Amino acid sequence: MAESSTQILSIFETFRNELDEHHDRRERLIKISRDITALSKKMYVSPIFPSIFKVVHMKSLIKIRKLNAPLPENITKETQSRFTQIQSLFNTALPDITGPNKWRYQRQLSGAIQEYIEALSFHHYLTTQTLITLSEVRAKLPAEILVTEEDYLLGLFDLTGEMMRFAVTALSAGSVASEEKKMGLSKEQNGIVVDLREMRSLFEGLSVSRRHNLIKDLGKKMEVMQGSVEKVERAAYGILVRGSERPAGWMPDLAGGGDEGY
Amino acid sequence: MIDRTIFESLQSKIDEEAAVRDELHEIVQTLARNGRSTTAILSRAHSTPSDQLKPVLDEATKEILAQKEQVTRLKALADKHPFYKYNGVWTRELQNLVSSIELCAYLGGLEEYKSNSAASFLTIEEVGKFLDIPVNLKEQDAFHLTIEEYLLALISMVEELSRLAVNSVTLGDYARPVQIGSFIKDLFAGFQLLNLKNDILRKRSDGIKYSVKKVEDVVYDLSLRNLIPKGSDNA
Repeated sequence: MAESSTQILSIFETFRNELDEHHDRRERLIKISRDITALSKKMYVSPIFPSIFKVVHMKSLIKIRKLNAPLPENITKETQSRFTQIQSLFNTALPDITGPNKWRYQRQLSGAIQEYIEALSFHHYLTTQTLITLSEVRAKLPAEILVTEEDYLLGLFDLTGEMMRFAVTALSAGSVASEEKKMGLSKEQNGIVVDLREMRSLFEGLSVSRRHNLIKDLGKKMEVMQGSVEKVERAAYGILVRGSERPAGWMPDLAGGGDEGY
Repeated sequence: MIDRTIFESLQSKIDEEAAVRDELHEIVQTLARNGRSTTAILSRAHSTPSDQLKPVLDEATKEILAQKEQVTRLKALADKHPFYKYNGVWTRELQNLVSSIELCAYLGGLEEYKSNSAASFLTIEEVGKFLDIPVNLKEQDAFHLTIEEYLLALISMVEELSRLAVNSVTLGDYARPVQIGSFIKDLFAGFQLLNLKNDILRKRSDGIKYSVKKVEDVVYDLSLRNLIPKGSDNA
């Protein structure tokens, strides 16, 4: 028996070392993931004061009112430096995700990847008014970083939130009442509403098997996305119906729920 | 403009993945069904005196070998995909199987796979050899038994053994609780070496001390009444 006790202890010592390595890797990746998430969120918003979160967001966006056009220089410079920082953070993750570890720690990094996709796709949408493709996303990351279809899809869901904030701002700052006396939104304003509606119907058209990993995130994301699209539709409606009564420089309150504010 | 083909290709990827999961799931279901038979047979050990265990162990071995065939099928299919992507589909059933293998080995079965016939358990390498699968692969992305799975299986085995200690007494076997007690105390000492984080392994291994205590109580009751036969381990 004494012999087997020592045998067991030596076996478990090996296990301990292996598990320690695993936990260390895991923690390093979680830390990297958090840093990337924070940087991605900073891309368009200043999260320092949560209560004014959305106001700050809008104020920085209001400068970029035009879709499908290059961003103003100062914003390009800032986002470029953030993208570079994020990419170098992803690089620091590489030694820990070699071989089977690429998938082993997929979940530790996927939050960061989704945030990054959200920022990236918003940037892409603002400058081109199209959706960034998965291969374009992958090209923006080191080849070893795993970007799954799930991450991409969930990132696009989050993109609708950003588009909503942008759209509502753009709509209220738009020129409906002042320049075009006839009814209807300007082509640009209408574009984003149409895009969001199209995305909604495409999201809703996806069918996901019950056994698929996506299924656990899908319900919530779908709900939030539908809420965003509706907010924009209501905003568009409000602008058309009551737009002319608004004082110049008025901005909608985005902090509340879906119904008030327009 | 939203490009619809983006969503079309997402949908086809989603479908592809669901198909892989279905295929794996089908094998795992068979594995689970065989696993339930294995467990049912092994649980007869609780009511069988140790000198009559042979037929029970033989029958259990047969079921375990049937499960092994499913593992071979599973390995062939799983090897086509990244290991950790789908690992969750089978990990539970693989743990149950390893736990049955360990229990069967402890009770005296599967002798030819142990390093020496006196050993009370199979090492992770021996389990791998028996199932014909690699263990603890670190560089290669292929099907294998992970350390965590092996450890979780040992924990299930410990729980089952603590129950067996109680039932051995009912069968009039006063020596076995002492053997079980000393074995699971060794394993407990091993688990205490591990630095566990807040994960499933931590939660499950916290239960070992209760198993140890359960067996210690039995041994205490027996020794108090001078019921432990001379020559038993640690007696």
